[in-house]
Amino acid sequence: MFTTSSKFYLALTVLTVVSFGVYMVFIGPSSIGATALVGLFAVGILFSWLSLHTRDADADDEFASGANADVPSRSIWPLVGAVGTVLALVGTVTSPLFFILGLVIVIAVFVEWGIQAWADRASSDPVYNASVRAKILHPIEFPVLAAVGLAVVILSFAEIMLAVERSAGAVLFIIVSSWVLAAGTVVALRPTLRRGVVTVIAVVGTVAMVAGGLLANSVGMRAELVEAAEEGHYLHRKCGPEKDKYGDKLALETVSARSAVIAIVEFVDGRLIASEQGVPMPREVITIQRSNPSSIIFRNRTDGEFRLVAVTGKTEVSEGVFKVDERCTQLIPSGAEQILTLTMLKPTMQTGDFFLKIAGVDGQQVELSVP
Amino acid sequence: MNVNRLSGVLRGLKFAPVAGLVALSGCAKNAPQDTWAPAGPNAQTIDDLQKPVFAVAGIVGLIVITAVAYALFKFRDHGQPIPEQTHGKPVLEITLTIIPALILTVIGVFTFRTVFDLSKTSDTEMIINVTGQQWWWEYDYPVQNEFGIDKPIITSGQLVFPVGTKVMLRQTSRDVIHSYWIPKLNGKRDAVPGRVHLNRLEADEPGIYAGQCTEFCGLSHANMRMEAVALSREDFAKWVSQQLTAYEAPAEGTLAEEGETVFLNQCVRCHQVNGLQRPDGSPAIAAPDENVVSGAAPNLTKFMTRNTFAGAMFDLVNPQCRANVWGATKETFGEKYLVGVSAECLNQTDLRSWLRNAPQMKPMYANPALLTGTGGKYRGMPYLGLTENDIEKLVAYLLTLR
Repeated sequence: MFTTSSKFYLALTVLTVVSFGVYMVFIGPSSIGATALVGLFAVGILFSWLSLHTRDADADDEFASGANADVPSRSIWPLVGAVGTVLALVGTVTSPLFFILGLVIVIAVFVEWGIQAWADRASSDPVYNASVRAKILHPIEFPVLAAVGLAVVILSFAEIMLAVERSAGAVLFIIVSSWVLAAGTVVALRPTLRRGVVTVIAVVGTVAMVAGGLLANSVGMRAELVEAAEEGHYLHRKCGPEKDKYGDKLALETVSARSAVIAIVEFVDGRLIASEQGVPMPREVITIQRSNPSSIIFRNRTDGEFRLVAVTGKTEVSEGVFKVDERCTQLIPSGAEQILTLTMLKPTMQTGDFFLKIAGVDGQQVELSVP
Repeated sequence: MNVNRLSGVLRGLKFAPVAGLVALSGCAKNAPQDTWAPAGPNAQTIDDLQKPVFAVAGIVGLIVITAVAYALFKFRDHGQPIPEQTHGKPVLEITLTIIPALILTVIGVFTFRTVFDLSKTSDTEMIINVTGQQWWWEYDYPVQNEFGIDKPIITSGQLVFPVGTKVMLRQTSRDVIHSYWIPKLNGKRDAVPGRVHLNRLEADEPGIYAGQCTEFCGLSHANMRMEAVALSREDFAKWVSQQLTAYEAPAEGTLAEEGETVFLNQCVRCHQVNGLQRPDGSPAIAAPDENVVSGAAPNLTKFMTRNTFAGAMFDLVNPQCRANVWGATKETFGEKYLVGVSAECLNQTDLRSWLRNAPQMKPMYANPALLTGTGGKYRGMPYLGLTENDIEKLVAYLLTLR
């Protein structure tokens, strides 16, 4: 009555039930563990039924029935499908990431297994059937696998670069890129190189990279980055003349002068000069439309590092105590430029004077007017 | 001619009246947005290009239509055998390629020259910021002491500028893409959120020049109009002086004073009147950014110096007074325009209807029940539920804004 594989799956199912009982009683209930065991139980039951139903695909029986042409080839996809199903199940109570990953695996199994089963029936020649399968699936498999492989390698490399010190990172980058270049050169110059050698080079490199990535992930980002993130590096708000430890790093980015800006403000040899777009002469007052994001380009044409500060009124933080509202660029070196975007919700008449100034430089201001 | 052919001709003739009407519309005298009647150097530059191009295109079109009609008639099917089929005629094909290429090259050269001429900014004499939003235009005049503008001026509906002056419009938008076009003064130019586009205007003579938004911008796109008012230099100086005059509160005990209270309770949520104060003496600052999607509503300071309202969709003056201004000679235009809107000239009907129920007058997204996607902010002016008594007071107050 029971076939060989059905005994295995039934035993697995019974073991799962026992494990579930032991887990719940002695280890303590957990939604993750319980879900995993219930998933395993469901898979065990399913495969038990399948093996009983198909009589373990008994070859003798099949030959006897004369249906040997339909014998499916060996396949790993049912196993992968089981893993995907369990992963998706676990994902429903843990993380959407697991659920999506499980779902992707299940869909991949449907496609792979379905096409393989169809290709197995294409003819009675297994070689021809394999070529049919390859013709359909290889254009999908190769790009997907390549993309996944590349993503894993890149992610691992990124993890390594975030973990090591900056100088060590530069050295590491040189080593890795030299290694890739050398390997590529060898492969290009020796087209007859044995496939095994190429495989060894690729596998060793990939494994080293992934292992390094995992190790780096466990170590975490280097202290400097952690500190900068805690200080709000991406929400730079320091408007004084002093150099900010992290906010003023990488302040060399330039913007195109052809950006549609409302004005250009230049700090030329210690003097602040403003010009409005489309107006040839310098302006003492820049007009900004109310409730409309308006961009100003700041160019530093003076030796040293300076930042442009827009003073946009005052806010009462407590009774009688006011805070000056400021927006500013980063500290930029001579010859660089940055864009500053302001949205003024209230007119000048309410909030008092609005103006642009250079942090740490007295007597150089350009008035802002919001009608 | 057989009966079938005759009936076919008669069927075709029924379209003749429509075609005739279309052709006759070109003869309309009252066409304020006529693209063939330039009234300034920029529009003239475009006209100098478009007329010859139109003539060339017309001639080419006529030749093609005539050739096709001739071929259709000459070689129509009347049972003759199919003639010998040939393939290609190099001389003819090359000729028919070279001739259009030459025509397009010549047109291209002149078009590029015109484009560069129109984009010239180095000799700008005056700048005006033009900001579009659903569905009206705001004009603000930055400080320009050479024109007597020592404080920014802000207005809407009518763009006022001096004759014979190279005016640079710096266009942008607060919400969606709009397009500014006064056909008699220049071509169209988009107003795009986050960008500043330059557009030059210059008028030869005093007068009012009409225009319309030409980029579909939502429900009331068709009602987003504009008028450019050209005044002589002297009259423009008077207009500037008028705009910069300090706010005068209505006299005590008048209906207008009660209207000011209604304005402070209702309208000032969105509409700014520079100089208006609350009872405690603090400036009454509008907060359109809290109520309107675009973050702006027309500034009503000196409201009665304009001839239009609601995005220039309605006249603020009644038809008789409007005709008096629009029909004025270039010598008397400025004087008549600067009078503004008196109680006698006020278009009471439309203004009261607007205050009564604005969304009924102009399609707008102003129904609170449908504003979930905008966080309760309006696109346009909502229904305010004003009583007739409130409207009476408000009209009296608005008449003082001059």
